Amino acid sequence: MGIIQVSQVKSPWIMHFCNSSCNGCDIEVLACLTPLYDVERFGLVNMGNPKHADVLVVTGPVNYRTARVLKNLYDQIPDPKMVIAVGACAATGGVFHNCYNILGGVDKVLPVDVYVPGCAARPEAIIDGVVLALQKLSKAVGVAK
Amino acid sequence: MSLEWMLAVAILLPLIAGILVYLIRHYQTRGLIVIVTAVVLIVNSIYFLRWGPDTFTPGSPMWGTIITILDYAMLLFYIYVGLSLKNWLVLLFALTQVIPLAWWEFGAGASTALEKISPAFVIDQLSIVMVMVISIIGSLICVYAIRYMYDHEEHKKLEKSRQPRFFFWLVMFLGAMNGLVLADNLMWLYFFWEVTTLCCFQLIAHDLTKEAINNGARALWMNSIGGTAMVAAMMYLYFTNGNSVDYLTLSNIIEAGRNGSLGATLMLPVALMCFTGMIKAAQMPFQNWLLGAMVAPTPVSALLHSSTMVKAGVYLVIRLAPAFDPVLGVMVAICGAFTFFAASVLAISQTTGKRVLAYSTIANLGLIVACAGINTELSISAAILLIIFHAISKGLLFLCAGTIEHQIWSREIEDMEGLAEKAPLTTFITITGMLSMFLPPFGMLLGKWMALEAVYVVPLAAILFVLASAATMVFWAKWLGRLLQVTPRLGRKIESLSLSYTVPLWSLFAGIFAFGIGVAPLYDKFVRAAVGNVVTVQHAFAEGWNILIPGAATTLSAEKGIEMLGSYPVWPLFIVFAVAIVLPLLLVSLKPQELRPVYLCGEQAGDVDTDEWYGAADQKTKLELGGYYFKGAASEEALNTWVYLIAIALFVIMFGIVVGVSL
Amino acid sequence: MNPVWIVIIAIVVAPFIGGLLAGIDRKVTARLQGRYGPPLLQPFYDFFKLLGKSKIATSRTQYVWIISYLVFMVTCLVFLVLQLDLLLLVFLLGFAGVSFALAGFSTKSPYSHFGANRELLQILSYEPILLLAALGVYAQVGSFNISEIFKQQTPLLTSLWPIFIALLVVLTIKMRKSPFDIATSHHGHQELVKGIMTEISGPYYALVTLTEWYELVLVLGIISLFWANPLWVGILIAFAAFILELFVDNINARMTGGWMVRFCWAIAIVFCVLNILYLYFINMKGVL
Ligand code: SF4
Repeated sequence: MGIIQVSQVKSPWIMHFCNSSCNGCDIEVLACLTPLYDVERFGLVNMGNPKHADVLVVTGPVNYRTARVLKNLYDQIPDPKMVIAVGACAATGGVFHNCYNILGGVDKVLPVDVYVPGCAARPEAIIDGVVLALQKLSKAVGVAK
Repeated sequence: MSLEWMLAVAILLPLIAGILVYLIRHYQTRGLIVIVTAVVLIVNSIYFLRWGPDTFTPGSPMWGTIITILDYAMLLFYIYVGLSLKNWLVLLFALTQVIPLAWWEFGAGASTALEKISPAFVIDQLSIVMVMVISIIGSLICVYAIRYMYDHEEHKKLEKSRQPRFFFWLVMFLGAMNGLVLADNLMWLYFFWEVTTLCCFQLIAHDLTKEAINNGARALWMNSIGGTAMVAAMMYLYFTNGNSVDYLTLSNIIEAGRNGSLGATLMLPVALMCFTGMIKAAQMPFQNWLLGAMVAPTPVSALLHSSTMVKAGVYLVIRLAPAFDPVLGVMVAICGAFTFFAASVLAISQTTGKRVLAYSTIANLGLIVACAGINTELSISAAILLIIFHAISKGLLFLCAGTIEHQIWSREIEDMEGLAEKAPLTTFITITGMLSMFLPPFGMLLGKWMALEAVYVVPLAAILFVLASAATMVFWAKWLGRLLQVTPRLGRKIESLSLSYTVPLWSLFAGIFAFGIGVAPLYDKFVRAAVGNVVTVQHAFAEGWNILIPGAATTLSAEKGIEMLGSYPVWPLFIVFAVAIVLPLLLVSLKPQELRPVYLCGEQAGDVDTDEWYGAADQKTKLELGGYYFKGAASEEALNTWVYLIAIALFVIMFGIVVGVSL
Repeated sequence: MNPVWIVIIAIVVAPFIGGLLAGIDRKVTARLQGRYGPPLLQPFYDFFKLLGKSKIATSRTQYVWIISYLVFMVTCLVFLVLQLDLLLLVFLLGFAGVSFALAGFSTKSPYSHFGANRELLQILSYEPILLLAALGVYAQVGSFNISEIFKQQTPLLTSLWPIFIALLVVLTIKMRKSPFDIATSHHGHQELVKGIMTEISGPYYALVTLTEWYELVLVLGIISLFWANPLWVGILIAFAAFILELFVDNINARMTGGWMVRFCWAIAIVFCVLNILYLYFINMKGVL
C-alpha cells in the first residue's frame, strides 16, 4: 500500500456526462458541488475533460447517438477509472425504456461500478454512491480489504 | 603566403570564380568551382586570422584608376536601369551620386589626389572577424545554392538555365564584401559598397518576375540614398579640411574622433556615413528593401541576411562608433532600439516564414546598431558577438526555410503544419535553429543579455529593448508551434536530402553549438581584440568557460562600487539544455499503444492518426486549426503608418541635432 | 553553506512549500465561498494520484516540452537561491513559459491550441514587466546579481514600489488566478475545457503541477527580494501578497486575453517605466 494508492482514493476527479436525461439528475449532480453538500471535502473535483477524470458520472439512458460518444470518452480516461450511473434512467432506461431511440442503461455500453437509484437521485444518494465507488476503488488498488 | 596574395584571394578570387562559372555552363563543373572557391576562401580567412593586424596599399596606381572607371560604369548602369524600368527613384538617386562625384573629381580637380589615398586596406581584428563570418558562412551558403538552384529551376521548368548568371553574382558578392570590410580608403570602401548594392539588385531581380524586378529596384534606390550620403560625407570631409584627402580614410576619421582634433566638423560626415550603414542594415524606415528581397531564391536571402549586405551596414556603424559624439550615439541607439521593437512586434503578425525571418533580422540588426550607439565596452562586445551568432543562426534558418520550401513548395507558415511528421530531419534542424535565436544557453540570447545589461545609459532604448524581447519570444514560439502541431502517424520515415543541402546545414548546426558552448574562450581570444579596435578594452568579461561581467563595466555600477554586474554560466546552462530537451528526446520513447486521440468532445472519428470528427448530421469533418496572428493589433496595415512616422521623425531629429551642433 | 547543498535543499523543499501553499489556496477559497473545503494536503493527494495514472499522450513531442518546462523552472529557482543573475533568470523563466506553450501546440487539439495561444498572450504581458523589474533593480542597486541585493541596507520596496505593484499583476498571471486565468484554469470551464492542459494527463499532468509549485515559490521568492534585509520581512510580504491574490481571485471574473495584454501594457508597464525613469534621473543627479 503505497502513497500513490492512498492518493488514488483521496482524489477522485469526476467527469459528468449526460446521455439523454431529462436533466433532473444533472441538476442534482451539480447540487453536490454547492456549499450545502460540498463534495470537494472528499477531494472531488468536477473536470470537463476525460483525460483528467477518474470517475465517469453518467446520467440518463444511452441512446443510439450517444453510445459512440460515451464509449469514446470512456476510452480516453486513463486507468484506473470508475463509472457511476446516476438515476433510474442510467441504470435501466427508466421512463425512456423501450423508446425507439433508446439502447437502455449505461451498462449496455460500459462496465458500471456503482448504480445510484432515484428519479431524480438525491444529492445525498449521489454522494453515497461516490463514497461506495471509492471503497470499491480502494479494494481494487489494495488500500482496503 | 604574403598579405598581397591573401587580399587577392579574398577579393579577386570570387570575381574570377564568378566569371568562370558564368562562362562554363555545366552543372557539375559549376558545382566543383563553387566548392573549390568556398574551401579556398575559408582557408584564406584562417590565414588572415593568423596574420593579424596590418596595412596594405597596392604598389601600382593602376588599381585606383580601375576602381574609378568601374565606379562610373556602375553608376551609369544604374541610370540605365532607372531609364529602362522607368523607375525615377533609381534614376534620381543614381544622378545624385554621379553628378557630385564627377564634379568633385573632374570639376574640382580632386581625381589625382583621390587615387593616392593610403592606406588602401587596413586589416585589424574587427575586419578579420568580418572576413571570417563572410568567408565561412557565405561560402557554405554558396555550396548550398548549387543544388538548390538546380531544384529551383527544375520546379520552374525553365527552358534555358539562368544559373551561370546567378552564381556569377552570388560568388562575386563574397569578394565585394571581403573588400568592403578590409578597405580603409573611403573611395575604395564606397566602390565595394556600390558593388554589394549592385550584386544585391541583380540577385533580387534574378527570377525576372514583375515583383522581383520591382523589389530589386527598390533595394537599389534605397541603397543609393546611402551611396549619396556617403558621397556627401566624403566631399564634406574633403572641402572642410582645405581640399585635402587626409581624412578620407576610416582610420584617420576614427583617430580624429578619438582625439577630437576635428571637433564638431566631424559629426556631420560621421552621421551621414552612419546613415548609409543604417540603410544597408535595413533600419526603419528603410526596412522595405530587405522585406522585398525575399522574392529572390532562398540562398540569396540567406546570404543577404546572415553574412553579407546587412552585416556591411552594421559593420560600418560599429566601425565608426569611436568617432560618435555622445549625442549622436544616443540618437543612433534610440533609432536602433526602435527598429528592434517595431520589427519584433510586426513579426508577430506575419504569415510567411521568410517574412518572419526578415523581420527578425531587421530587429536584430536594430539591436546591434543600438549597441554600437551605446558605445561602451560591454555594448560593443554584445554587438560583435551578436554579429557572429546572428550570422550562424540566421544563415541556418534561411537554409532550413529553403529546404522546407523545396519539400512542401510553399513559404506559408500555415502550410508547415505538422512538418515534424513529414520531414523530421529538416524540422529538427529548423527547431534547433529557432531555439538558438532566443533560448538561454545559445549565443544570440547571450548577446541580448549583454546588451540589456549595458543599455541602461539610454533608458528609452532600454524600455524598447525589453518590449521587443517579449515580442521576439512570441513570434518564434508561434512558428515553432506550427511546426510541432501534428497528428502522429504510425511509421514515419526520415527524409533524404542531397549532400549539397546537408553539409551546410549540419556545419552551421554544429557551429551553433560549438560557438555557443565556447563563447567565453571565443570572446577572450578573438572578439575582445575586435572590441579593442572600437573602444579601449579594460575588463575581462570571460572567466574560464563562463561570462562574468565585473561591476566596473558600466558607469552606474562602478559608481555604486559593485563588484559583479552580472554572470552568465554558459557551461551549466548547456547542461540544463541537454537535460531539458536532448535527454528526454533520447531516453523517453512512447509506445504506440500509449498514443490516444485528442479530446474532441468524444466525437472523434477513428483512432490516433485521424484528425476527423463527426460534425452535423454525422458527417465526417476534417479538423483544421489555424494560427493566431494578432491581425488586428500587430498587422502592418495597423502599425506601418506609425512606424514610418516615428522612424522618420527619429532620423530628422538625429540630423537636426547633428546639423545644429556642427554649424 | 556549500552551494551544492543549497541547491539540493531548495529543489527538495520548494515543492513542499508550493504544495502547501496550493492547499492553503484551496482551503481559503472554499471558506470564502462558504464551503468546508478539501484537506490541506489535498494537492499532494492529487499529485500522487496523477503519478499513478496510466500514461497516455496525443503526440510524440509533447512530453519533451513538459519536461523542459519543469527543468527550466527548477533552473530559475536554482538561480534565485544561488543569487545569480536576475536578468538571466527572467529570460529562463520566459523560456519556461514558451516551453509550456509549445507543449500545448505540439498536438492537434483545438482546446490545447486555445490555451497555448493564450499562454503566449500571457508571456507578452508578463515578460516585459519582469524584465523591467530586473532593470529597475539594476537602477537601484547597480547590479543584476541577486547577491548584491542582499548587501543593500535599504529595502528595494521603498524606491521600487510601483514595480512591486506591477509584479503583483505578474503573480496573478503566474498563479493563473482570475481575472487572468485565461490559458487554463483551476476550475472546469466549459468553453476552455482545460485550455493548454487539455491533452496533458496522468503523470505529465503531475509534472506540470510540480512545475507550478516551483513557479509559485519562485515568483514569491522574487517578490520577497523587495525586502531582502532582513529576509523574513520579505517572506511575510510575499505571503501577504499570496493571500491577497486569493481574495482577488474570488472577487473577480475572468477577463479576455486582449484585455489582459492591454491592462499589462497600459498600466503595469507604465508603472515600471515611470519608476525606472525616475530612478534614472535620480542617478543622473548624482553624476552631475
Ligand atoms: S432518472 Fe428521472 S430525473 Fe434522472 S434523468 Fe431519468 S427521468 Fe430524469
